[in-house]
Amino acid sequence: MDDIVRSAPSRSWVDAANGTVEREAFVGEDVFRLELDRIFHRLWIFLAHDSEIPDRGDYVVRTMGRVPVIVVRGSDGEVRVLLNSCRHRGTKLCRGEAGNARNFVCRYHGWSYAIDGGLITTSYDEHLPPGMDKADWGLVPAPRVETYRGLIFAAWDPGVPELRDYLGDMAWYLDALFWRTPEGMEALAPPHRWRTRANWKIGALNFIGDSQHVRTTHAGPIALDKVRSEKDGFYVQGGESFQVVTDEGHGCTLTYLAPGMPERNYLTHPPGLRGAYADTLSADQLAMLRHLRVMVGNVFPNFSFIESQVALGEKAVIIRQWQPLSGTEMEVLSWVLAEREAAAGYKDRALKHGFHNFGAAGVFEQDDLELWASATQASDNPIARRFPYSFHSSLPFDHAPMENAKGPGRAFQPSNTEVAQFAFMRRWDAAMRPLA
Amino acid sequence: MDDERGIATVSDAAFLEVQRLLNREAALLDRRDYAAWFDLLTEDVKYVVTARVSRPAETGPLDYAIIDEDADTLRLRVLQIGDPKLTRAENPPTLTRRFVSNLEVEAAGPPNDYAAHTNLLVYRQRGTAPDGDFYAGRRRDLLRRDRGSLRIADRLVRLDHNVLFDGSLSIVL
Repeated sequence: MDDIVRSAPSRSWVDAANGTVEREAFVGEDVFRLELDRIFHRLWIFLAHDSEIPDRGDYVVRTMGRVPVIVVRGSDGEVRVLLNSCRHRGTKLCRGEAGNARNFVCRYHGWSYAIDGGLITTSYDEHLPPGMDKADWGLVPAPRVETYRGLIFAAWDPGVPELRDYLGDMAWYLDALFWRTPEGMEALAPPHRWRTRANWKIGALNFIGDSQHVRTTHAGPIALDKVRSEKDGFYVQGGESFQVVTDEGHGCTLTYLAPGMPERNYLTHPPGLRGAYADTLSADQLAMLRHLRVMVGNVFPNFSFIESQVALGEKAVIIRQWQPLSGTEMEVLSWVLAEREAAAGYKDRALKHGFHNFGAAGVFEQDDLELWASATQASDNPIARRFPYSFHSSLPFDHAPMENAKGPGRAFQPSNTEVAQFAFMRRWDAAMRPLA
Repeated sequence: MDDERGIATVSDAAFLEVQRLLNREAALLDRRDYAAWFDLLTEDVKYVVTARVSRPAETGPLDYAIIDEDADTLRLRVLQIGDPKLTRAENPPTLTRRFVSNLEVEAAGPPNDYAAHTNLLVYRQRGTAPDGDFYAGRRRDLLRRDRGSLRIADRLVRLDHNVLFDGSLSIVL
């Protein structure tokens, strides 16, 4: 860890008692640099889905904060995350986004590495001094790489807890999305990628629990889509709906069928997969999924997921990486997943309808992005920074968790408050404090 | 996917008919006249836009769809961006200017009459942003005589983009 960062003064952007967050948190370049060191170059960061690199030598190129990495399946079948930079003079080994490699060969001077990262040759090994041990000059591996339910995470701090422990109570909900059939999920296509001039945390907050934006931001697709607007039930949250937050700053929002909404439109289990769900999930998880209309959440810091109705009786699971580029810009990666066991036609429809709604040209996405970018732009000036953002609608609720929630974590009702968003901000604020 | 292998020549009259259709279409889209634009499509229209995964030349490029619509979902998309009450991305409207060039026309097998290959460049300005954006790509349209006129039955736009810029694609290409 960087010495400057260790000694940076303690600073807080969140006023927990009054329900506000300073705007600087959403635009500041100093904040962004601290986020890199204290969050993105330290904690577990989601990188890829296991199904993207099925065979030995398959790789995808991703980013952790500012760190370019290769996510590769090694000759032993293990997934490794390697710094995408030659140990000699720093050139990228992989200059595309994906591929299959037998070795990683640097095209500058010819240093060559095995897919597990070990240095094979510098091309001029005969010129190396006797004290140089090639075993010390392999590609730099992320010290921690773990996969949970097909989701590949890595961390640069060797001291982070086990991924399963880090996910904590959120794992129960992730299981119900990503491991509800014996073979699990697969990414149906490469991720959509787009840049936007908005702070990355707006995406995380939007997914962890922002039911309040749906009516105003997404008036278009909701009014136009007969499945959603039927009997005007979409704006009404079913009485079972709730939000969940965990100690690690993860959270999700579960919105249930409203009274009067046609149940047939919101089949809990896709046709043909009903039996598999029952075999894999617990009775409690099955009960949690029953009549669930939308489940949307975030794993701290920047991995989001949404399961949403995409067509009559069909659902898609979309996952996201909100990749910060600066204090005021991010790149978004967005995948559509379906159960491996699903029929080909179902997967095809899940993919198309998934990105019709939530892709690089998504009918939901386009309206979010325009508003997020305008929020970042309008906040990025000294006058606006004097006036904090409001998270007030969390305060009347966040000290009263439910007693009989459907799942683990601290659950709250109603589901359309800002409890989960403010919990994320408090966790973020704590993560930004200097290390002990 | 649809690499052209030697464009079969068609008559000048056919070429001009196709060119008029595509020019008229571009003008309607730049004017945001989506109702008139939709009338240029067949009722079973397919509309696909792809982006590209950058991969080593030895592996070959990989295109993947970012839009894949049939007539029903395309209508939803256009109704949204065409109605000021239903869109945030397109209200205020973005300004666009479409350049459709390098036209090549070939005779296509039934049921389509022609395949038209064009280069597409779209300039787009959003709000008061001082810098506009460009979308560039290669377009392949299958055209069919339907209800008395030549109409677009199947469009494939292969964008020359890996990562899209400035938010989400909220226009028709």
